[in-house]
Amino acid sequence: MQCKELEAVLESEGLSPLPPEAREHLAGCTSCQDLLADLSAIVVAAKRVPAEVTPPDRVWVSIRAQLETEGIIRDTEPVAPAASAASAPWWNGFTDLFRPRVLATVGAGLLVVFGGMYVVEHRGSNNTVVQSPVQTPQPVQTQASQTPATPEPVTPPPVAVNPAPAVVAKNSPQLTHSPRATSPSATRLSTVDGLRPSPSEDMYLGDTAGVLSQTEDALPRRELANNPVVDASLRQNLHTLNEFIAECESRLKQNPQDQLTREYLNMAYQQKAELLNAMMDNGRSEH
Amino acid sequence: MCSSTSVLGTTLKGTRRIAPPSGAAIGLLARPRPSEPVAWTEAEAIRRAQAGDSAAFDFLYQLHSRRVYALCLRMVNNPADAEDLMQEAFLQLFRKIGTFRGESAFSTWLHRMTVNVVLMRLRKKSLPTDSLEETLDPDAESSSPKRDVGAPDLRLSGAVDRVNLERSIEQLPPGYRTVFVLHDVQGYEHNEIADIMGCSVGNSKSQLHKARTRLRELLQEQIRDQARQERQSAKAQSGSKE
Repeated sequence: MQCKELEAVLESEGLSPLPPEAREHLAGCTSCQDLLADLSAIVVAAKRVPAEVTPPDRVWVSIRAQLETEGIIRDTEPVAPAASAASAPWWNGFTDLFRPRVLATVGAGLLVVFGGMYVVEHRGSNNTVVQSPVQTPQPVQTQASQTPATPEPVTPPPVAVNPAPAVVAKNSPQLTHSPRATSPSATRLSTVDGLRPSPSEDMYLGDTAGVLSQTEDALPRRELANNPVVDASLRQNLHTLNEFIAECESRLKQNPQDQLTREYLNMAYQQKAELLNAMMDNGRSEH
Repeated sequence: MCSSTSVLGTTLKGTRRIAPPSGAAIGLLARPRPSEPVAWTEAEAIRRAQAGDSAAFDFLYQLHSRRVYALCLRMVNNPADAEDLMQEAFLQLFRKIGTFRGESAFSTWLHRMTVNVVLMRLRKKSLPTDSLEETLDPDAESSSPKRDVGAPDLRLSGAVDRVNLERSIEQLPPGYRTVFVLHDVQGYEHNEIADIMGCSVGNSKSQLHKARTRLRELLQEQIRDQARQERQSAKAQSGSKE
């Protein structure tokens, strides 16, 4: 059997089990051994890529609104919170402001906003081309599609700083708003050269990691809803995120100029903030 | 359905156990709903949805949205676009749910719609990538983008981490990317992928092999680039010291 024939076998039969002739060829051909080892490594690595990513709540809210408009959903659930809000005294709203989830949401939101502003401001003073952090996503998309040499990364799901969804119509600005507009990728695209990471960026990431770590430490004191499956799932999510964050941090230590990994890390921090919010909302969780 | 993952599908003819939306399959940033008393099978939820039951739509969405969103995200590399595409796919699904007769698994039906929506969008956008027609033709010379990197192959062992791989997946042509994500990431079998993509099983196998081979090339290029960058930065550092 020749190398080309082995490749044909791999193409039609997959990586395993290989027929005896293929194994025989493989035993004496280092090039094919390398090929098989590499392809196997890719398959193993692909298993570590999440097969499921939770979309933001606003997508379902929007779909549901559209289905109701079209009359596909015929029965609508009563909106209990609105009814209870109507009967509750107005001063109850003040106590809601100090719920842990609200505080955590506001804290994470402020951290992300101030961090983003700080980084953008710092970069703005160093570069000739500056992109506004509130620029609409469309120009960014155009830029990205015109530069295949620097493809956009598969970013983790966007994180609404305030996770409470609002009913929006299909294709409304809120739904189509791209988190990339305020993400580091927007500033990355705006820069003229490869850009070295600034100390302010590192400080921002470090601060975020610290705040998240403190929040995570505070979790075991809280109580979860009576659902061990949900509890396990949340813990698993947190574990997965922590692993990914550790991987990104380790890569950044090796190569501090890796902007893409920096973006992944930033997104992972945002996801973690959101997840911690959800966990705090649900109470107890061990991790 | 898939043997290697937790996807459970069902047809109206046969019912399989379905994990509830708030179950162990919750993905990242899930919104658990512990108070929801959902104990339907998928087939039951489909029947209820066909009758317009809003809770059934919610159930089906919760059951499949994480997988569909992950697929869209891997395909378009942009969360906002992925949300938009997923919304379009689910709207199509729910509009046509009355016509679902259970000839194929529900998740296959949904994924077929999703892949069509995504590929249609990619075609409209005419991204600077190889077209699906090219990549779906296993006999065409152009179906395998051959790039001479001009250097001997590097052994990838230990160098394929998640970040590197995701970066390379982004650079695959849409046809390759779809098959690779469906098979190696989401765990679908070739016969299911053939059903989703509307191609033969042999074609699916061929596309997968070519996708993996192309990924190998891309990963090797990345390793070379990283090594080059490290050499340059080391040279720059030694130059600045002198």
